[in-house]
Amino acid sequence: MNEHPVTLHVMDDLRRSRLTVFFRFLLAIPHIIWLELWAVVVMIVFILNWLVALIIGRPAKPFQRFTAAFMRYSATVFAYLFLVANPFPGFKGEPGSYPIELVVPMEPEKQSRLKTFFRLLLAYPAAAVSAVLMYATYAVTFLAWWAALITGRMPRGFRDLGANMLRYSGQVNSYAFLVTGRYPDASPYVGMSFEAPVAAEAPVAAEAPVAADAPEAPSET
Amino acid sequence: MTNSSRRLLGLLIFGALAGGWIWAAHALWQTSVPSNLKLPHVDVNALVGASELHRAQHFSFVLDLFGVVGLVLPLVVLALYAKWGHRFMGESAAGPIGTGMLLAMLGLAILWMAMLPSNIAELWWLRRYGVVKVGYAEMVIGTWSLLGAEFLGICLTILIVMGFARLLGNYWWLVGAPVFIGIALLVTFVQPYMSGLQPLKDHSALVQAEKRLAKKEGVGNIPLKLENVGTQTTAPNAEAMGLGPSRRIGLWSTILDGRFSEPEIEFVVAHELAHHKHNDLWKGLGWYALFAFAIAYLIANVTRRRGGMAVPLAVPLFLFVWVAFPTATLPIDNAFSRRLEAEADWTALQATRDPQAGKALFVSFVRTTNEDPNPPAWDSILFGSHPTEAQRIAMIEAWQKRNGG
Repeated sequence: MNEHPVTLHVMDDLRRSRLTVFFRFLLAIPHIIWLELWAVVVMIVFILNWLVALIIGRPAKPFQRFTAAFMRYSATVFAYLFLVANPFPGFKGEPGSYPIELVVPMEPEKQSRLKTFFRLLLAYPAAAVSAVLMYATYAVTFLAWWAALITGRMPRGFRDLGANMLRYSGQVNSYAFLVTGRYPDASPYVGMSFEAPVAAEAPVAAEAPVAADAPEAPSET
Repeated sequence: MTNSSRRLLGLLIFGALAGGWIWAAHALWQTSVPSNLKLPHVDVNALVGASELHRAQHFSFVLDLFGVVGLVLPLVVLALYAKWGHRFMGESAAGPIGTGMLLAMLGLAILWMAMLPSNIAELWWLRRYGVVKVGYAEMVIGTWSLLGAEFLGICLTILIVMGFARLLGNYWWLVGAPVFIGIALLVTFVQPYMSGLQPLKDHSALVQAEKRLAKKEGVGNIPLKLENVGTQTTAPNAEAMGLGPSRRIGLWSTILDGRFSEPEIEFVVAHELAHHKHNDLWKGLGWYALFAFAIAYLIANVTRRRGGMAVPLAVPLFLFVWVAFPTATLPIDNAFSRRLEAEADWTALQATRDPQAGKALFVSFVRTTNEDPNPPAWDSILFGSHPTEAQRIAMIEAWQKRNGG
């Protein structure tokens, strides 16, 4: 029963680095600032996209992709902040780059002009539910922070609650920002997929110095 | 072009750059203090009293030990991090620059943890002597918040360095250094607007005196402002800040709390105006620029064996050099700073023509800060950004002798 176009793909092994957990909030600051800057542009894009969707009956493709990347990125940032995942996320919101991934449709779909016109108002009740979930996650993260710091692992229940919050808020934002016309689904069983990670341990860099001409990871800030 | 002529051309360019560097450093080193000024011996014991002198020496000695820990511990911690820090690359799902940022932040985080016991002990010492009012929890939270700001700063640094390194390879420093100089320029310019400066109310006589002194020193209109630090420290201080239209003088509230006489405070104001008169903030930026090129070039070369600054593997080593270089140049930086401060004292004397106020001020500084007025030479070399109080008083006596006082 996974019919929503916006789904959260969880590929996390529950292992947590105590050092990065201890400094998690501070480590997330550059991402939070980048997210805020990106959000300003997303708001402008949303207004333009809203006008486009009202005129042609579906969002513009470049706007859809830009907003989808933002949704993916914001899910990774909050996953990192709320200890739902362990690694430090990238800054581009690229698909397939993080163990917690919000899968968002990249191709725009036809959407009702009437619903598009009233989109933010329609999203309001779901946004209220999302806010409640977010506050619950704040409280749980405080407990989870201690648990992860002491045991080096994230309790599964805490992780899943956080993941569900990310899934639901991802669906709410995708609906509000015209990425999908499908209303968010409050059921925690809709739009979630869990998968065991490929390797239990994250890859550790080789100790030997890398030569100057060694192949580099894809360019990303 | 043959290899030997290419080498010769390279040597010529390097020689010209080195010559330019030395010429600029020499020009910045010059001050208006007479070069033949002989400082007389000052009996600090007679000036501040034996018991206060003993107290100051005891306080300063222990504080210096904390200072030495503050210099050595980061080098040890970051040297270890330079060796082992790359292991944290596995904690990142970001690209090279994002991973570099994470490694740099974790290095600073580990350093913060390593320094915490020493910082708490130092705070205990400062509180014991009543110099600082900050509580332990407040200090830990404060340094924690500061760490967040440091994270942002180091992320910006990594973005600039790695960004240019990925574009220009090992020549990134040619562009990176000017960018850092530009940032330093911007920070110096905006600092007065970010420092929470307040208008100086209920001190109209002082404001008038500042205008009079500013006119005398020929620096134009520089607003005199208040920095409220009374909840954090009892130590007195003042600072010249800003460039061009943002120039200000910030007087700490602790200097206006009744422990200093009006002529003493006017001497402080004249000293700060002298910094603006001699363009000391510009000189400081010039000095920074000289070393910015040097450190950037050094980092580019040192990190080459780890693949250069284009790859995150080099970041822990970068962090070590980033901290070790300023530590290594600390003696010369302090010597430069002491020259500017001595010049500001000299100019303040010329402007106020009140050596008694100057002497009383420096004696009061010993009593209120508990700092040793005549510390050992190594103390001045490592930590002395200002001349010692004994040297400052000696300069006043030398000025008096020259001016028949």
